[in-house]
Amino acid sequence: MFFTYLRRELRRRRKAALVVASGLALGIALVIVVSSVSAGMGRAQEGVLQSLYGLGTDMTVTKAAAPAGSDAQRPRFRFDAQDDGSGGEQSSDRVMVRGFQTLAGSTVGRVDAQSGVADAVGGLSLEVVKVSGAFTRGRFEQGEGGGGQGFGRGGAQPSPQGRVEGGGADFDVNSYSVYGTDVTKPALGPLTSSKITSGRSFTRSETDAKVAVADAAYAKEKKLKTGSTVTVKGTGFKVVGIATADSGDAAADLYVPLKQAQTLAGAKDKVTTIYVKATDSQRIDSVKSEIRKDVPGTTVTTSADLADTVSGSLSTASSLAASVGKWLSIVVLAAAFLVAGLLTSSAVSRRVREFGTLKALGWKSGRVTRQVVGEAVVNGLVGGALGIALGLAGAYAVTAVSPTLQAQLGGGGGEGLRGGFGGPGREAAGRTLDVALTAPVGLTTIALAVGLAVAGGLIAGAFGGWRASRLRPADALRRVA
Amino acid sequence: MYELRAVTKHYTRAKDTVHALDGIDLTIPDGDRLVIQGPTGGGKSTLLQMLGGLDRPTSGEIVLDGTDLAALPEARLTRVRSESIGFVFQAFNLIPTLTAQENVETALVPLGMKPKQRREQAAEALKSVGLGERRAHLPGEMSGGQQQRVAIARALVKQPKVLLADEPTGNLDESMRDEIMDVLERMWEELGLTFVMVTHDSVIARKAPRLATIREGRISVKENTRA
Repeated sequence: MFFTYLRRELRRRRKAALVVASGLALGIALVIVVSSVSAGMGRAQEGVLQSLYGLGTDMTVTKAAAPAGSDAQRPRFRFDAQDDGSGGEQSSDRVMVRGFQTLAGSTVGRVDAQSGVADAVGGLSLEVVKVSGAFTRGRFEQGEGGGGQGFGRGGAQPSPQGRVEGGGADFDVNSYSVYGTDVTKPALGPLTSSKITSGRSFTRSETDAKVAVADAAYAKEKKLKTGSTVTVKGTGFKVVGIATADSGDAAADLYVPLKQAQTLAGAKDKVTTIYVKATDSQRIDSVKSEIRKDVPGTTVTTSADLADTVSGSLSTASSLAASVGKWLSIVVLAAAFLVAGLLTSSAVSRRVREFGTLKALGWKSGRVTRQVVGEAVVNGLVGGALGIALGLAGAYAVTAVSPTLQAQLGGGGGEGLRGGFGGPGREAAGRTLDVALTAPVGLTTIALAVGLAVAGGLIAGAFGGWRASRLRPADALRRVA
Repeated sequence: MYELRAVTKHYTRAKDTVHALDGIDLTIPDGDRLVIQGPTGGGKSTLLQMLGGLDRPTSGEIVLDGTDLAALPEARLTRVRSESIGFVFQAFNLIPTLTAQENVETALVPLGMKPKQRREQAAEALKSVGLGERRAHLPGEMSGGQQQRVAIARALVKQPKVLLADEPTGNLDESMRDEIMDVLERMWEELGLTFVMVTHDSVIARKAPRLATIREGRISVKENTRA
């Protein structure tokens, strides 16, 4: 009888039921879209951070910033004009430690020894500036005519007896980044945020090998393939693999074994960044404090610190989703619950005679209330199903459109930057990454939607049930008599 | 058997107190057929509600077979209604979304009967009022007289001791009225019910063996020698 009565009543009042269900559906759909977009933003932010950090890294340790300009190195290049006038090509590579700040290699061991640290690995981030080209001396010419050979025509000087003509220089400057990675610990560090799409990664035994892994974008630009040789400061490295960044930009253009990078930069036993994995992700802050205390002269940057420095449209949209989206969902849901409650209560008022009759026939108040609550819960579930469908469609539309958001790193001036975020992190400072927004709908979100639908039905049912339970059979029948 | 002792019912309407029933003493023996008449607002329907345990008096006792309905807790009063008292209303009060059969079954739901038994008993009740073929019809698909017959079947399906009818023919034309009264009288005779009916209809009142008149909350009962 319960289900027959419920089904018939819902069919009879399907318009009112649809209004209640639609209100709930709207609120629930909004919650799903906002939750999934928030999750998408979280994922995008994670992606941005991973592209800097690598997978599994909880924090980085870098050398604390020194006063600006104290001992900053500036790149110097030496080229000689050749007497023979051949104009032969000359080149010079200048390899600099990125950020000019290094930590002793032993610091890695000290950090690793801290309690709460699962693993620590050092890396050396380098910037290579390669200048190559030819320099031609000008020629002294008597009288008119004649032009110097060579690439340029500038540099001619007037002379009382004649003129120096021709001569000049044409140099190409090529700058790229090299990251020295600890090949004995492949599970940690920036290379983990890239996938090897061709060839292979380093093997643990390649600590001294002259091998390199090239970033896919750089390899494409320089036409590098697996098996090619790339020369850095006169040292040839065999490209054994091509790596493609999972999201955002790669941490470096070339990856070489740490020892080779140290040799190239003349920074023996030095690292720029130590990547740390904590034993427990809940204990990151305490591990951070411990490292700062026990390893002085360092700056410890957690992913939370780095996340604070993400700005741009990703950050704006993320804040919007967190504030406006959340509150909008709450307001719409509350309004939907209230409207559902009031409509259910009003429906009970219109059915006073009906419920009064049932009570006169001996139906207990509880049975009548259950009937009202049952109808409201079914309404809520219908609203929930509609809302889930609507929300999934909305989330699918967001994922299909994949609006591009920009993540600006370093705009926020978080600790990591103030304190000198070494390695790839420093490279990222001030960099803008494009991230495609997705709206993944997880099971938790669906469960939340179902929960809200049931809650909406129960709240509406509570309004109606309370009204029905207060009806007295005589009150109901008095209207009839 | 009903025994009403000094029953009063006062309502407060706006700032005035309405004395709907003002010290009613009344005995209704088992198997009696009592018709209550009186002017509108005289207290007829209020008295019927007291007899049916739908409302409680302000003071006094309403004793049905030794149990004072006025003093019963709500749960037990609900049980008395479900087991012992059948109601027929002026506006039929059928659930519009349920079929004739299902409407009759609503009276058996509180008794915790098994669905099969419930269906059989309801079908039997409908047959007894001549609606065996219209079990699957909704109230909206039936005439007023047929709807009232469904309501009578609903009131009697649980085989109550008492049948209370509040203007059962008030919404019907003369031919329907006679048809419904024939059904009610037949049931009263067949089932040996105590039958109390409120009516404005003097034709019906003339046929009643006992006639009560309520005016300004006070009752007077006389034997109808012409019935």
